[in-house]
Amino acid sequence: MNLTQHSKYVTFKMLLRQIGSLQILLGFTMGLPLIVSLIYGEFYSALGFLTSSILCMVVGFSLYKGFQTSFEPLHRHALIIAALGWLSIAIVGSLPFIIIAYITPAEVARQYCQSGSDYVSSIYYFRNPLHAVFESMSGFTTTGLSMAVHEPSIGKGLLFYRSFTQLLGGAGFIVLSIAVLGQSNGRVALLLYGTESTGERLKPSIIETARSIWKIYLGIAFFSFIYLVIGTYLILPDYSLSENIFDSINHAMAGQSTGGFSTLDDSIAGYHSIEMDILYLLPMILGSLSLPFYFKVIHDKQINQFWKNLQTRSIFIACISGSIVLSLMLMKSGVIPEPFRIGIFQFVSALTTTGWQTSDVHIWDSASVVFIVMAAMIVGGAAGATVGGIKIIRVLLIFKGLFWHVNKYFSSENSIKVVRFNEKRLLPDEMNKELAAAATFSFIYLLFVLISALITYYFMGNNYSISDALFESASAQGTVGLSCGITNPGMSPVLEITYIIQMWTGRLEIIPVLVLFRTILFGTKPKIV
Amino acid sequence: MKIIIAGDGEVGFYLAKLLVYEFQDITLIDTQQDKLDFADKNLGITTILGDSTSFKILKQAGIESANLLIAVTSVESTNITTCIIGKKLGAEFTIARIDNMEYLVDKNSLDLRDLGIDILISPESLATREVRYILKSPALIEIFSLYDRALYLMGLLLEEDAPIVNKTILETANQIPHNSFMIVAVHRNGSTLIPTGNLQLKKDDLIYFVSTDEGKNHVVEYAGKKSVQIKNILVVGGSRTGKNIALKLSRYYNIKLIDKDIEKCNYLAKTIPNVQIVCGDGTNIKVLEEEGLGNFDAIVSVTGNSETNIFTCLIAKEFGVRKAIAMVENIGLFDYSQKMGIDTLINKKMAAANFIFRYIIKGRVLTHLYGVDAKIQEFVINRNSKITQKPINELKFPEGAIISGVVRNGTGYITLGSFKLMPDDKVFVFSLPQSSSNVNSFFK
Repeated sequence: MNLTQHSKYVTFKMLLRQIGSLQILLGFTMGLPLIVSLIYGEFYSALGFLTSSILCMVVGFSLYKGFQTSFEPLHRHALIIAALGWLSIAIVGSLPFIIIAYITPAEVARQYCQSGSDYVSSIYYFRNPLHAVFESMSGFTTTGLSMAVHEPSIGKGLLFYRSFTQLLGGAGFIVLSIAVLGQSNGRVALLLYGTESTGERLKPSIIETARSIWKIYLGIAFFSFIYLVIGTYLILPDYSLSENIFDSINHAMAGQSTGGFSTLDDSIAGYHSIEMDILYLLPMILGSLSLPFYFKVIHDKQINQFWKNLQTRSIFIACISGSIVLSLMLMKSGVIPEPFRIGIFQFVSALTTTGWQTSDVHIWDSASVVFIVMAAMIVGGAAGATVGGIKIIRVLLIFKGLFWHVNKYFSSENSIKVVRFNEKRLLPDEMNKELAAAATFSFIYLLFVLISALITYYFMGNNYSISDALFESASAQGTVGLSCGITNPGMSPVLEITYIIQMWTGRLEIIPVLVLFRTILFGTKPKIV
Repeated sequence: MKIIIAGDGEVGFYLAKLLVYEFQDITLIDTQQDKLDFADKNLGITTILGDSTSFKILKQAGIESANLLIAVTSVESTNITTCIIGKKLGAEFTIARIDNMEYLVDKNSLDLRDLGIDILISPESLATREVRYILKSPALIEIFSLYDRALYLMGLLLEEDAPIVNKTILETANQIPHNSFMIVAVHRNGSTLIPTGNLQLKKDDLIYFVSTDEGKNHVVEYAGKKSVQIKNILVVGGSRTGKNIALKLSRYYNIKLIDKDIEKCNYLAKTIPNVQIVCGDGTNIKVLEEEGLGNFDAIVSVTGNSETNIFTCLIAKEFGVRKAIAMVENIGLFDYSQKMGIDTLINKKMAAANFIFRYIIKGRVLTHLYGVDAKIQEFVINRNSKITQKPINELKFPEGAIISGVVRNGTGYITLGSFKLMPDDKVFVFSLPQSSSNVNSFFK
């Protein structure tokens, strides 16, 4: 065995071992929906979760124990681990959907549907493994596009599982594995941590950082839960308390992770209450703010960060101005009643990449659709949050860079034109570097959106327009989850796979997935020209 | 009075020289024998070779009986350590030269006085302060405050078209708003005159005034200078002084700073807000033209090289920059550069030495003007002194000396004609060297 073969083998072993550890963790987390299923007496769902959990752990342990190696991941491996890890989680995470879809008898499934309704339980859509993977990927990447046409009809256990996957995916599964398992050493942990977050270090050690991120994340999710329970109770006193608590738990998880799965048939519109729309704005905005920002506010008690932090300030400004513009556009087009209610809620939902829907976007005029795509879905929330999109900080940087380039011509030749951005003073070289990184990413991102929009256009069916295609594509890429109806169980498998890839790349900011493809196609050897 | 000076650098040597004239008991400590030899030969003072942070060396210098320990080596930490140790070993009063402005400004974290350092001085911040004063009143050549801004001493060059040229001081007396300033010395052709009423003012006279705070603008008016407003400044040289000037003055002026070294430029660009940093050679006319030299109201050249500073300032003058300030460390160049047309010269070591000087002893030289033979001295009037009984113009004050202002309860007064001295007044006196003993006995 020569050396290169040996090292290839070792790398492979190391990758499988890392993925194994993620699977073990996933297996454990399936315990919670199992308990929820038991509480609601959904024994078939409980059985489904139990089998999936055991399968997961068996696979995980055998990978983890079977590929013992002392080899530690290098920089490029970290990206591959992230890409492969997320893919494997989405695939394995689809097991409960498939198993439950096959084992639940028809009469039990009928009980999940609302009494008097004439549709078949949506649970059977998941007998198609592609739909199950789609749902799972949409959950873990906090997108919120769904194959379950009538959400409540899949049972409380699965509903909880869907929201729970969003919570797990939001702050990052790898960060969670660092926080919980803590087996990687500092350098490896830092590499892995950087692949799915901003890489900002909050505490001296990465494990501590990962833990505080999860603490803050869960803390705010819990706050959202309390807020929603009380709010719902005050607004809709006749709503059953147990339903209220179940909805609030799920919506708090989906809101904090900016996922956007709902337990209601018509998302938030299902409450038929303008007050509820307003109530749900806060969890979305809370989810779109960066976790390091919360750390500074909560841990370091820097309350002034609310207006000093560039991203936070920009999100507030963007939410206010964007929703006003969208509302005015909708009002002018006159296609929907209550343009302000819809405009504000949908803009915030799109900018924070949550994806709770209160309106049928399909009937909107094209101008409004394009506006929400450009100004909200593609931009996204704060870097370091659970959002998708290009991220507001990159957009600001690119605009700053544009002005900087123009202003440069007014300075003398030898001037060192410094840029002040986000409390930092950047030298021309540094600015160029930052600008190149941001612009490259944004360009690739837009490319993905456009290519997918074209694919959508070919496979979407006749009653949709090109702006609808753009909307759906941007929604999947930005892990938003708003839909104009193209996403449904009857969609073309090509399109479904496209969206799965888009959600996957959207969550990981594209580059890790490209690295993975490169590894598969050309290996890990550096290219020398 | 026993004084120990640690560090025979430029500041240390200059200070020793000033103090020697005052007949002080001075010991100089340094690590370089040749520097000490030079000081020994020129000044005839005690020198000790060694590290000033060593107990043995300090004891050898007589630290137990020292009244004053001045640490002015080029290394900040050495100065601080020397003072802390010196204080514990028995020095009455300690002065340390520092570079880190933090120590001066941020007294909440740690006040170095608690460690035993009585005064901190930073030549860079002193130079910056001088530049700031000058830029505030650009018509002046020199200005500094006496006794915590109670009075100001200002120097001004008389130009041909000034209304007071070829008039005696008495003739112009009606142009002096009541008791806001007075002329205390005139420097003409290398010699210093103490003014009397009959002295005629001529062009190219360098006139020194003492004024109250309100009187500052009257002085400018009186001398027929237009008060110009400085807005744009070009700073040449990103040394510690340049950086400090840019940092402190960017609040008041638009500043452009030029330095040759790209690394230094990048560092400055990153640390100093609201200042445009330019990387280029400040002596290269092409570069200066590109930066629009003619559009600046003032140029402050503070590179490490005195000749460069002078040259750059001369170019700037040619381009029509109204105020040129050069940092000149080489005292030998002082006279000539001023003659060549540079408005103001600053010198870090003189600034530092003068600053220390003012702290040393009461009734002694308060400050020292370069090139001017006159001294400013401070006297405190005794309770039972007879001179409080008559107004000043009836006193028999020695010739070649002039009472140049009084500070009473922290307020400054100009002492013209009928002014009456009171006990406990602090009196400033401008005197020629030959009159100084008469002045001393007058106040006894």
